[in-house]
Amino acid sequence: MFKKSLALGIVSGLMAGIAGIVYARVYYQINESDFSRVVSAVKIIAASLVGGVLAAIGYALLNKWLKNNGEIVFNLCFTLISFASLLAPIAVTLPKTIDTPELFPGLVIPMHFFPALGWYTLKPVFIRGK
Amino acid sequence: MSKLFYPVVTVLILAGSAFTLVAPQNWQIGQGYSISFSSSDADGIFKDLKGSVVFDEQNPAAGKFDVVVDVASINTGNGLQNKHAKSDEWFDAAKYPTIHFISRSIAKSGNGYQVTGDLDMHGVKRMVTIPFTFSRSAQGGTFAGSFMVNRNDYKIGKPGGDVGEQIKIDISVPVTKS
Repeated sequence: MFKKSLALGIVSGLMAGIAGIVYARVYYQINESDFSRVVSAVKIIAASLVGGVLAAIGYALLNKWLKNNGEIVFNLCFTLISFASLLAPIAVTLPKTIDTPELFPGLVIPMHFFPALGWYTLKPVFIRGK
Repeated sequence: MSKLFYPVVTVLILAGSAFTLVAPQNWQIGQGYSISFSSSDADGIFKDLKGSVVFDEQNPAAGKFDVVVDVASINTGNGLQNKHAKSDEWFDAAKYPTIHFISRSIAKSGNGYQVTGDLDMHGVKRMVTIPFTFSRSAQGGTFAGSFMVNRNDYKIGKPGGDVGEQIKIDISVPVTKS
């Protein structure tokens, strides 16, 4: 179970990272606000991978402890944690040299949902329903 | 009469050139200036500064500063804080769009100088004294100063709260000869 969930976490994390980079490029084209010094492509990939791996660990542990209800609790926790994590980009203080900090949450908030979105999308490929 | 003409003209030219030599230098505000503020719970910068700077190290009393800061250019590094700072609870940028400083006098003080003038902020005009230094470079120079203001004096924000009442202002303004 853990190997499958870890593979899912890594692949969905990578997919989320790629989606995040594409979204950052589109965001830059639309708003002409460059946050690459704060949110570089490497950081996007790394953060998404960490999210995916943590999700994999959480999924494996919850399924081990809670058996039949593990999946339900995991999905609820993953979504809630993704929502709660939105506070970070809203509260963060950027370097003063960045002219438009008010556009920063618009860039990062959607990215916080990409790992969960990737996980829910790819889960049937890696872990079949019981 | 004709004998007096040339001596008189010569004296007038010499006198005029003497005034030219002692006239204080006009400086143009260059790129890379910094106006930052900090207190116990808030800090940030103002990005837009305009104005005229007349200053001569040898004759500081003849100098004159008249500078305007755009309140809407405030940047705390956080979008929500910026919005909050510009709101009527703090700077009220819609009603008081600028911070204006006009000098009354400039004098030498220790190793540097000090300028006394009117600081007009948030609809309140108060006299402040700002110590500063001027370091000359090949193309111009840099003014640097630091002073404290009490935000309550200017009715900015409510007394007390998380944001300190004493706000430290640090200024660094590179200038070029104009």
